[in-house]
Amino acid sequence: MISDTKNTQGNKVGMIALIAGIVGIVIALFGFKQGWDAGEVRPIMSWLIALGFWLSIVVGMLFLVQIWYVFHARWPTIIRRQCEHCMAALPYLLLLFLPLLAIPIFHENAGLLWKWMDGNNAMPGQITVAGDPLYDWKSPYLNIEFFAARAVGIFLVFIGIAALLRKWSFDTDTTGNVANTHRARRLSALGLFLCAIGATLASIDWFKSLEYHWFSTMYGVWFFAACMRAALASIIILCVILAAKGYLKGILKQAHRYDIGCMMLAFTVFWAYISFSQYFLIYSANIPEEVFWYNIREKNYNGDLNSWWWVSMGLIFGHFLTPFLLLLWYKTKVVMWRTVVVAVWILAFHLLDLYWNIIPGKVVTMDTTEGYLVRQFSITVYDVAALIGIGGICIFAMCRSMKKAEPIPVRDPNILTSLNYTE
Amino acid sequence: MSEKYGIIASFPDTPSFFHAAEKVRDAGYKKWDTYSSFPVHGMPEAQGQPRSKVPIFTFVGGITGFIVGLVMVWYMNAYDYPLIVRGQPYFSPVFPFPIMYELTILLAAFGTLGGMFLTNLLPQHYNPLFNSDTFLEVSGDRLVIAIEARDEQFDPVTTRQFLEEIGGTDIEEVSA
Repeated sequence: MISDTKNTQGNKVGMIALIAGIVGIVIALFGFKQGWDAGEVRPIMSWLIALGFWLSIVVGMLFLVQIWYVFHARWPTIIRRQCEHCMAALPYLLLLFLPLLAIPIFHENAGLLWKWMDGNNAMPGQITVAGDPLYDWKSPYLNIEFFAARAVGIFLVFIGIAALLRKWSFDTDTTGNVANTHRARRLSALGLFLCAIGATLASIDWFKSLEYHWFSTMYGVWFFAACMRAALASIIILCVILAAKGYLKGILKQAHRYDIGCMMLAFTVFWAYISFSQYFLIYSANIPEEVFWYNIREKNYNGDLNSWWWVSMGLIFGHFLTPFLLLLWYKTKVVMWRTVVVAVWILAFHLLDLYWNIIPGKVVTMDTTEGYLVRQFSITVYDVAALIGIGGICIFAMCRSMKKAEPIPVRDPNILTSLNYTE
Repeated sequence: MSEKYGIIASFPDTPSFFHAAEKVRDAGYKKWDTYSSFPVHGMPEAQGQPRSKVPIFTFVGGITGFIVGLVMVWYMNAYDYPLIVRGQPYFSPVFPFPIMYELTILLAAFGTLGGMFLTNLLPQHYNPLFNSDTFLEVSGDRLVIAIEARDEQFDPVTTRQFLEEIGGTDIEEVSA
């Protein structure tokens, strides 16, 4: 059971992913450079979206594994190992985050992406960031030094916890030491707190502070919900591929897929609950410094519906209602191809959700009476390149990890329960 | 009152009980059931039972709740006594959403509970099987399969033979 079952096809997939990743990253960085030179932020946002997309998947898996440990869940033991392989991508994601961190340090306009970083940047209403009382109030939190420290801290928490969980889990394969499971469980109890804080700060810093005027206390929870949906959708796709072509053949049972499907349904509802609550509270209070964030995602300054209105409707009906209704059916959760279709659907709309959160912003211009334009929805070549590029590196990291360890945790104390799991 | 309710047969252990159930299913009987004091895993499939109908009751209940909430708020705030709150429109799908949502959950739960009772044919205070002292031991350690007389394939002689063939013991007729 040791070496012959280890992943051998992974070599080829890993190499293809690495090549695609490098090509994608070169193209995306070319766009990044163009944007850097021209002071145009859209190609840089492509990088942020792609990074957010892949990071949300891996962070969601980190949450999942810890939740499973804390609740002593036995059934997902074989799936947990696949999550552990995916978590190998975290150090690469830190590396890929550095170009964004280079903007405040090296660019002449430190606030090219996050505009509060440069006091000279103009805001609507003929003021600058430096002359903005709201920025003044928020500056103890929103300053470049603290921002950089937080970014490094967030990644260190994710990478550190993932590395420890991986080390202990892989160690059990050879030594069969049950103490590893207890250690992992204790770490997860603390790690869930740290990761929750990390994911909240990450979403506030990287996505929410793009429009630093805005207030929302739900934003961190929104990101957590989005991470969980992305992770569950990805893990079911990965497991089905591994069961069809790889080492999970005959190991992944209908019961495992059914339970992941149930969690997909639960987090679809959770995402909708959080996203709607955020909207509902802001709608009810109707305060200008909050509602503008939804206004620009619906209308241009002159009141005409803009492209984001269609995206918003797409999120309501495509990211919530359709997967919700489909996942209610028992068949969707047990018929393999139906589950995969819904999972791909959720991932696509998760990406659209990130677009919706990141791209719209008030572009300052003196031509219009209101002094701003809304940046409209678009999909560029650099978006695709960055997605393929960063994704390729993540998949490469996963395949590399698959070569190192057993396909399933063969000596885990809960492995039998997981292998014999039935509905 | 010597009308028959059906025939019961006991089985010595869970595997033979389980496989006997599969054979009764394959023989084409419809009006029959298995009785044990503990759940036997996979028994619904061995008995050839279709999937539960309860989710349909849940879904219908949920949809009803959603629409009732919507119509209720529209009737109260926009039709019967139009009221301006916070300068927002008389009616919009946004602000009554908590009410629609809560009623969806409430009526879905009612639908589930009611559906469970209906599909389980509950409450049922009496069953002719209680006439048999052998059957009463089911609440101890006895495993019983009962084929009812109203089944189309039922025949006092051949059904008894069939139950003997599949390994049943203590076979007896139960009067209605």
